Amino acid sequence: MMTKLKIPIGPHHPLLKEPISFLLTVEGERVLESSMRLGYVHRGIERLCQERTYVQAVHLIERICGICSHVHSTAYSHAVETLLGLEVPLRTHYIRALLCELERIHSHLLWLGVLAKNIGLDTVFMYTWRDREIVLDIMEELSGGRVSHTINIIGGVKIDLDQKMMDMISEKLEELAPKLTIALGLFENEPTVRLRTQGIGVITKEVARRHCVVGPIARASGVDIDVRRDVPRPPYNNLEFNVITHTDGDVWARTLVRIMETRESHRLIQQILSQLPPGDISVKAKRRVSPGEVVSRFEAPRGELFYYIRSDGSDQPARIKIRTPTLPALSTLPEQLRDVNLADAPVILSGVDLCIACADR
Amino acid sequence: MDIIPDVIKSLFNLLIFPGFAFLLFCGWAFDWLDRKIIARFQGRVGPPWYQPVADFIKLLGKEDVMPTGSQTFVALLLPVISLAAVLTAGLYVPIAGYSALSFEGDFIVVLFLLGIPTLAYFLAGWVSVGVYSILGGNRSLLQYFSYEVPFLLALSGPAIMGGSWQIGRIVSVQNTSGWFLFFQPLGFVLALIGLIGKLKRNPLDIPKAKSEILAGPLTEFTGRKLALWHMTINMQTVVGIFLLVNLFLGNAQALHDIFGVLMFTVQVLIILSLLSTASSLFARLRIDQLAGFGWKILVPLSLVQLTFIILMGV
Amino acid sequence: MELNWLQDILTKIECVGPFDIRRLPEDETWVVIPFDKVFDFVKFIMEDDSTWHLSTITGQDTGSQIELLYHFWLGHGLTICARLAYENPQIKSITALIPGAAFYEREAAEMLGISFTDLKDESVLLLSDAWVKGWPLRKEKKEKHDD
Repeated sequence: MMTKLKIPIGPHHPLLKEPISFLLTVEGERVLESSMRLGYVHRGIERLCQERTYVQAVHLIERICGICSHVHSTAYSHAVETLLGLEVPLRTHYIRALLCELERIHSHLLWLGVLAKNIGLDTVFMYTWRDREIVLDIMEELSGGRVSHTINIIGGVKIDLDQKMMDMISEKLEELAPKLTIALGLFENEPTVRLRTQGIGVITKEVARRHCVVGPIARASGVDIDVRRDVPRPPYNNLEFNVITHTDGDVWARTLVRIMETRESHRLIQQILSQLPPGDISVKAKRRVSPGEVVSRFEAPRGELFYYIRSDGSDQPARIKIRTPTLPALSTLPEQLRDVNLADAPVILSGVDLCIACADR
Repeated sequence: MDIIPDVIKSLFNLLIFPGFAFLLFCGWAFDWLDRKIIARFQGRVGPPWYQPVADFIKLLGKEDVMPTGSQTFVALLLPVISLAAVLTAGLYVPIAGYSALSFEGDFIVVLFLLGIPTLAYFLAGWVSVGVYSILGGNRSLLQYFSYEVPFLLALSGPAIMGGSWQIGRIVSVQNTSGWFLFFQPLGFVLALIGLIGKLKRNPLDIPKAKSEILAGPLTEFTGRKLALWHMTINMQTVVGIFLLVNLFLGNAQALHDIFGVLMFTVQVLIILSLLSTASSLFARLRIDQLAGFGWKILVPLSLVQLTFIILMGV
Repeated sequence: MELNWLQDILTKIECVGPFDIRRLPEDETWVVIPFDKVFDFVKFIMEDDSTWHLSTITGQDTGSQIELLYHFWLGHGLTICARLAYENPQIKSITALIPGAAFYEREAAEMLGISFTDLKDESVLLLSDAWVKGWPLRKEKKEKHDD
């Protein structure tokens, strides 16, 4: 009869990129159960936004997360523009979608590297993060920032694309495509990788639906939701793309889904660049927003990003509610971490694609 | 007074070659080469040549603390004992044909001495009070039981074929018969896998899996104690590689001295590259997967190899 | 969204008309329901439409009362609004039906002081353990910024 140990993972741990605390009850090499504590990076953004004007709040919203900062500001700007009754030019939608897809590629590559590092395959970690630099270079050329793009304003975007920029993007992405094929081949074929990720952290379709999981995790369990397709909005209603699903629901399935989604994003970017309509990139927006409410859903790299904004007629929002996609995924963790091997805990935690800054806001 | 030349020769062997200074230098050189090769695999540049020396000096300057409740004296004794065991083993392993000491049965002694650091590693986890250390210690014992049996069986192959338990004699048999590598390639592969497990390198670095249990048994070690541990691990790598070269690729004695030394160096470097390549290419196994792999695949294969050797000799 | 469908369910759970139903931007339907009927309503939605999805639960302080909004996605958006009083706002938790709602309810509880009956784990989600007083998203006592 072995004694029960309580192993802390976090708030500081080589496994975690952001602080979150897990306490695993372990007997021998078996994790019996776990408990979780969020809130280490809670900055109270929702409350802070209520004390700032709509324009000032954009600055805060962008800084909720480093990896998906653009989609946050896009969802927020879109929501406020809807409240204002503004019709932004079509070109704006396309430019916003371009950066959303670039961010998706960047986020998935980052995650792939982190998963590889946590299963001991440092080589793949180095390769994917080096390939991620290609995407970061593109984003820096476009917006001036590798991580924080700040291109969204209420009423449109601040940057424009000329032909030279579009050619540069296409060229750089062509460099990336064969590397994705290599990564996909590796995860499908390398036996040690399959040993460590197949059958680990299985979430069935029922569990995924009951916990309201979104994003690649839900799609890997067979739940067919993707906001880009479900909420028809320009430019996605004119673009052709597949929603990738898988049935296994384990970490390996999620890896495959994410790698193939990266390829879909590449295709989407090519379509966006070829269909980019001419026109303005922004319209003037009033400071005071008439009273009303709006719900805005966008597809962040990790799933459905939800914004609810209520305005009371002043130039400060009365309520901003943000629900980030990592939060429902975190609620499945106590179930995933029950009665597993201790060595599978890092794989499970990596499979969930933690973005704690998003979850804590 | 012929004791004095003997004493001087013994001191030279103990301290300079093939003792402390030589093994220390080789340990640092191998560590640097290993890191450089892995870095090149990963598309990086890698550390400069003085990195292992710099790390060692840096560690000596660090504060030496351990959590309350841990037994600091034992914790200091363990790396010292491991270092002594590895250095002693190094005296018996021939280097390009030259071995300081040698007697019939020294092969068994070397294998025994090389097993002491593993047990000391486990005890290091036990005496440092900390969840990660205890878990790492448990894992290192479990791993020991999984790779040690096929390792010993694979290494017995050259001994049986050479007809002796003296490493020097096993090497000289290969002068006439050719490298044992050609007669028992399976044994060579199994010995390599066993060596990866013994040295706790990726993919078998389960006791010190960084993403799971921080640094395993050595989590709470800092300062001089950690420097001694690193020294032990480096020297263990050196002695292990030398042992493998002698058992499977040994014929350096037959050649002219300088050429023999060069040949030995090349063989050692090849085995080191194989170890580094394996480190870069695979993901880390789980301890239960290693146990299954060790007992269900490695042990039967080593028995097959042994049977083949015995039948060939009959 | 079929208004008939919505009105059917509302009658089934014994709500009395007239129903406060609005359309919000981006294809969202908004309906106000008495807070004690929310649990039944959610149960009916789940039984009726197998592709239901709960996006989140928003709590807000409108100045006159506390509102709880349950945002669903059923192929198109549906927001249920339940209004609660300021003193001792209480509502039945829907975690028996949707376990994933636990995080959202805990956050609403700690930010606004709503108490959810039947919620198993009532510990604080985002605020620190040292947080002792006040509900951050309530509008009362806005002057005390040095809390």
